[in-house]
This record gives sequence, structure tokens and C-alpha cells, in this order.
Amino acid sequence: MKMIWLIALREYAENVKTKGFWIGILLFPMILIAVFVFQTVLAESAPTRHYILIDQSGRYAEAVELAIRQDHQRRILQEFVAYVVENRKDSNPEVTAANADAQIDQLISDVSADEVAALDQWLENGGLNFALTLATPNLREDAPPFVAPREQFIPAPLPEGIDPQDEPQRIIEQLRPWLTGARQLVVDGVNSNLFAVILIPARVDETIQRPGIAPMAVNQNSNGMQYWASNLTDVRLPNAIENTINSTLRNNEFARRGVDAQIVREVQRTRLPVSRLDPTAEQGQEAVSVADTIRQWAPVGFVYLMFVSLMQSVQYLLSNTIEEKSNRIIEVLLASVTPLELMMGKLLGIGISGITTILAWLATFLLFIMFYPSTQTEMLGQLFNVMLSSDLIPYFVFYYLAGYALYAGIFLAIGSLCNTLKEAQSLMMPMMMILMVPLVTMTFIAQDPNGPMARIMSWIPLFTPFTMMNRAAAEPPMLDIVGTTIVLVLSIALVLWLSGKIFRQGVLRTGQPPRVVEIVRMLRHRH
Amino acid sequence: MQENVLELSKVCKKYGAFTAVDDMSFAIPKGAIYGFLGPNGAGKTTTIRMILDILKPDSGSIKILGETSALNVRKRIGYLPEEKGLYKKMKAWAIISYFAMLKGMEKKAARQRAYELLEQYGLKDFAEARVESLSKGMGQKVQVLSAVAHRPELVILDEPFSGLDPVNQEVLEQLINDMSAAGQTVIFSTHIMQHAERLCSRMLLIAKGRKIFDGTLDQARAIIPRRVILECQGDIAAVLHTDGIIGVTEKTPGDISDANGTRHWEIQIQEHASPQLILQRCFENGIPLTRFDYTQPSLHDVFVHLVGNDAREHSFR
Repeated sequence: MKMIWLIALREYAENVKTKGFWIGILLFPMILIAVFVFQTVLAESAPTRHYILIDQSGRYAEAVELAIRQDHQRRILQEFVAYVVENRKDSNPEVTAANADAQIDQLISDVSADEVAALDQWLENGGLNFALTLATPNLREDAPPFVAPREQFIPAPLPEGIDPQDEPQRIIEQLRPWLTGARQLVVDGVNSNLFAVILIPARVDETIQRPGIAPMAVNQNSNGMQYWASNLTDVRLPNAIENTINSTLRNNEFARRGVDAQIVREVQRTRLPVSRLDPTAEQGQEAVSVADTIRQWAPVGFVYLMFVSLMQSVQYLLSNTIEEKSNRIIEVLLASVTPLELMMGKLLGIGISGITTILAWLATFLLFIMFYPSTQTEMLGQLFNVMLSSDLIPYFVFYYLAGYALYAGIFLAIGSLCNTLKEAQSLMMPMMMILMVPLVTMTFIAQDPNGPMARIMSWIPLFTPFTMMNRAAAEPPMLDIVGTTIVLVLSIALVLWLSGKIFRQGVLRTGQPPRVVEIVRMLRHRH
Repeated sequence: MQENVLELSKVCKKYGAFTAVDDMSFAIPKGAIYGFLGPNGAGKTTTIRMILDILKPDSGSIKILGETSALNVRKRIGYLPEEKGLYKKMKAWAIISYFAMLKGMEKKAARQRAYELLEQYGLKDFAEARVESLSKGMGQKVQVLSAVAHRPELVILDEPFSGLDPVNQEVLEQLINDMSAAGQTVIFSTHIMQHAERLCSRMLLIAKGRKIFDGTLDQARAIIPRRVILECQGDIAAVLHTDGIIGVTEKTPGDISDANGTRHWEIQIQEHASPQLILQRCFENGIPLTRFDYTQPSLHDVFVHLVGNDAREHSFR
């Protein structure tokens, strides 16, 4: 036992010293931080786009400009809600719900329930200034002032010498140098690129499409509306324009057909909320909260964590065994300890490094949530709380260790048979593919945790740790839990026993990796 | 009677149809420096691995330090494998103390011993260096030290001299002699005869998996006749009837004119025959000698004599 410890400690110490280990540990939090920081930075640094709107029909310009202003207001609203959630005095929803000042809560819940309606409400109430007055008493004293996002789309005047009432084709030809970036607009004394030109020809109404009439081909020569932009990826502007023009058009249609548009609007805003209830929860607690949903999905997070960590561990185990084999350290080791001690020492040492990585990840995750408060991290924090407080932890610990023992045993045997990583790759291939299966199926299983696929996969030992972890939150039948655990434990014993045999003979092997027949012979070998 | 640390009797090992070791029997007394000699592929490494119970013999028995398996006494054995390698990222002292600890030494003692050995054998300045930064020879020295740090009763070194420069070969010879002086038994394999000649009290010669010779250096030399080497211009027919001469071979290089007509002979004589008698005959017959040489056969000659054909054949396979 002392020897196993000694080997495990050396493996651990050496592993911790490698670059790969630290990359593994740091990569996860770095990706996490990068995602959040970049999201914020990108959102803040989205450039201001200048567009030219030419409405020869004279009917839609106002609506389009309104739409663009509304889009801006929507962004302010979203940012503001996020700002309030972050900076309110007490961020516990249960407590604040009881607060007298429920209006701000109403706003927050409206936004999450129906953004369009909330936006109307917001604009009707007077927008940001009103909301700020409303929210200020509820904000923390140290809250930073709210900074409204910049406008993203700003109308630009038509360059001189272009007649807005000219032929559409001629106008576009004249504007082409600006559209392609060959010339720049001067807006408020600053040079800027022209992002888009929206051209609404005089007889645009002739191209309106109605049900029952065969649609006409739309091209730039027709009287249809035109959106010119060299940027094909930023579709917010064309979408906003298309939406508003259509809604203006529909309002006109309502009027034409004698329907009160205001009534339609009110009808559209009528809604019946659905309470999502969970029959398995205790009485009085049936309402499905965000936390419950998270709880349902948390196993997927655990499965993923398990997958990443196992991948890392088995790879290290493999390359490390091959290193010892290729430079024949293994012989010295075997002259000092038994193959079983060596194998167990390795399993233990690498296993502890795997656990260290997971703990480091969880710790950085926690620190991140604590020191980077924002709406998104609040969400993550909730996820974290659910993960830690739920009964999923014991499942995770058990299935992680079981999965590790199972796969590590197999990869150790593979490592003992090969002299170079290159040789190992061909033997590793099938195992890697098997390891991918739980990853591919994890979302399906989360959606139907007690369905036939989940149940069948649970009984296949190589998938048991992943699949049962995946199903852990859905209270699988006792038969599945106990039965698969027995099968799993027996398989682990079998795998470790067999790979012990292969390991003992494989580690001293030189030359080509063995053929299947030879491996079978090794398995049957006795002593 | 001296106690044997190692006894092999009728040990065989086959790999498929290939017989690596065949009917091997020998015994090694305590405190000996014992050489395993043999051409490449003779079965030295396989024999050593069986002694260490890393490989199981197909038949025969091995008794090591009074036990049937080296695994039961592995803490009393030190082993340096044929192919050298160490953990590249570890420091020299750490690797020595790690292997010593695997052999049962306490952490503190192992560390102290590591520094002591590194200083004693000229690696003091490299104690803190990572193995990957050491030269091949230095790395090999570190490995030898890591094999013997726990003061094993029986040290088995497989090709310890290969890859070392002459200075370090001497350092290693010193180490082996030191261990022998301390009562440790040392077995080492080599195909360089000079080391065996200088170090070994006994030796085992293996070829094609079979024991060819087992004994002391003197016994080995006695295997091939002593030789007298003569060079002269003219013929030596007159001396050839002297007593004790077993055979004569003329070894003149192909073209006599190159050597100014000098001819070269090798005369094999009986073990107790006197070379003086031949010299006397030469003078009596007025043979103008340019060279008269009487040498002990070297171990190299014995080796070539015993396995020469086999070794050549082997290299052509």
C-alpha cells in the first residue's frame, strides 16, 4: 500500500508540473471569462451605423424611423432591466416580490414574459426617465449610474447633388461609391461609412402581396422596396424595417377593411399565462421555478464535466504509460514494485489530479460568480447553487469514480501495449468513439430520462456512468439504479482484472502493437 | 563453503519457436563481481529478466537470495536495465531518492543518500538539474546510482558501460569495485571484454542461449592455447619440431613484398611448454628474428574463439 501511495504521489506531483495540467485548469475559467467579457465588450462596441432612407411614396419613412427608434428603446429597456436586476437593494426575488414597490418588478417580469407589450408599456410611460425615477429608491446606494446604450442606427442626409425623387436606379447608381465604401459620408463633421440605403419607390404599394394572389418576382427593377447594404451579416436593420413596414401596412389594411387597429392591438396583447407545475414536487411547491428547470438540466452539466475530466485523465494516463514504456523505466519499476501496485498507483495518482482539476474548475467558477456580478452570472450562480445543493453530488461522485476506474483501466491496458502515441492512436480510436456516444446523447436523455434509449444505455457498462448521471434528476426506477450499479461494479472489477493481466504482459512488450489474437492470448494467460 | 546469492538450474525460455535461453545453470557466490558475456542476442537480457522474475522461465528453477522469486526480495536487489531511460522532467536527486524509496528507504535517508552519491561520483553540480538537461552519459550515471542507492545485496547491471566515455567507464568500474568491497554481489553484462577482464572474479559466457563457459578469468584463458608470435625473413621450418608445439599457422599478409619479405607465424604451444625453448631453437638455427612475442590470450581471443562463428552467423540472420 505504501508503494501505491509513493507511485501515486509521484504521478500526481509530475502531472501537476506539466503544462498540460495547468492549461486544462486555466482553460475553462479563461473561456468562461472570455465569453462574458467579450459579450459585454462586443455589445458596447457595436459601431454606429449610418443609413439613408429615401421614401418616394411618402407613406413609410415615419414608420421606419419610429421602428429604428423603438429598436433603440428596446435595447435601453433590456439594458435597464439587467441594470436593475444587478443593482437593486435585495436581489432575492422572493423578498422583493413582497416589497411595496411592485411596479419595477412588474416591469422586469413583463420583459421576460412579453417583450413587445412591455416595450409599449415602457414607451407609453415615458421610457427611461420615468423608469429611472421609479427604480432609483430601490437601487443600492453604491450602484453606478445607468449608462444607456448608444444608438446603433442613425439616419444620414443624402449627399449633395442627388435628387431623392429621381429614378430609383439612378439614385442607387449615384450612391454606389458610398455603399461600396469608396466614398465616405460626413456626418457632424466626422467621416463615416454608409451602412445601408433604404429606398421606397413611389409606387411601392403595387408590390404588396396578398393571400390568394400569386406573388410577383421581387427585383430591383420592380417598384418594390429596396434595401442596399454590403454587410450581409448584420440583419437587425433590414429586419426592423421589414417588421415595421409590414405592421404599418397591416394597420392600413385594418383601416381599409373597417377594423379598429387599436382593438387588434389590444387583442394581440391579450394573453393567458400557463402555470408550469411539477406533480412530483411537494404540495404547495408544485409551481415550476427556474431553479427546478435548472435542476432538470443540471445532470447534463455533470455529464459534460465528467466527460471533459475523464478525457483529460485517460489521455494523460495513456501518454504517461507510454513514456515509461518507451524509455524502459517500467523495467526498473517492476523490479521494485508489483505490476498491480504500479497500476493502482497510477490510477490513484492520475485520478487525484483529475479531481484536482474539477475542484479547481468549481472554485474558479464560484469566484467568477462572486466577483463578476451581472445578470448572466446571477443565472450561473443559481445553476451553481442548484448543482451543489441538490442530491446530484453523491451521484456525480460515484459515477465519476466509477467511470474513471472503468475507462482508466482500459486506457492503461492500451498504453501498456504500445510503444509510441502514434501506435496507441489506432487502438484508442474505438474507445474515443464510444466515449463520444454519451456526449451526443446527453440532451436527448435529459429530455426523456426514463425513455427506452436512456434505459437501454444505462445497462451498457461503458455508458452507465454517463447515462445514469444524466438521468439522476428524473428519479429513475429503483431497478435501474440498483441493477446498473451492480453491473457497473462487476464490470469495473472485470476490466481492472483483465487490464491488470494485459498490463503485466504488455508493459514489457516491445515491437509492433499486438494483433487481436495476441491480446486474447494475453487475457487467457494465467499467473 | 561459500554461500551462493544466485543459483539457476536448467532454466529454459522460448519465444514461440525461438529459444532465447536453453538449459542454463550456474551459481554466483556472495561478494563476487560476475560478468555475463556474450554476443548480441545471446540471451543475456532474457536471463537477467528471468532472474528478476520480470519474465517467467518456461522450465527450470531460480533461487535468489534464498528465495524462489526475486519479487520476494526485490528490496535487496538493485537493477539497471539494458535500455536506459529516466523520467525526463524529474531532478537528478529526486529520481535517485524516488527509486530508493520504492526499494523501501525512508524519505529523508533516501534524499540524503542521493546527494551523497551524486557528490561521490562527480555529479554534485547536477543534483538539481532535470534529467532532460543532462547529457546521455550523465543521465546513465544517474540511472546507475538510482539502481544502487538503497545498498542492495545483489546488484544486476545490464550493459552498464554502453554509451559512457572512457573517463566515466572508469568511474563506473570504481563504483563496481567499491560495491564489491562493501560485500555486495555485482552481476553485469557486457560485450566489451576489457571491462570483464579488469573487473570480474568470475564470468559466464553465453551464446545462442546456451552456457559456453563459466569460471574464473584464468580458467577462461586456459581454454585457448598460449601463443608465440614470430616474424622473420626466411623460413622457420627448423624450429617446428620443438616439444610442446601444438600447431603453427602462417599469418603473413597477402603480399610478402609489402613487408620486405617478412613472414609472420603464430605458434600454439601446450600450457606448460616453455616459450624459451622456441627462442633457443631460433638462435641455434640462425633464424633472423624481427619479432618474438609471447602473450597470454586475451579474453577477447577466448570470446572470439568460443563464439566467433556463432556471432557472425547471428549478424547475418
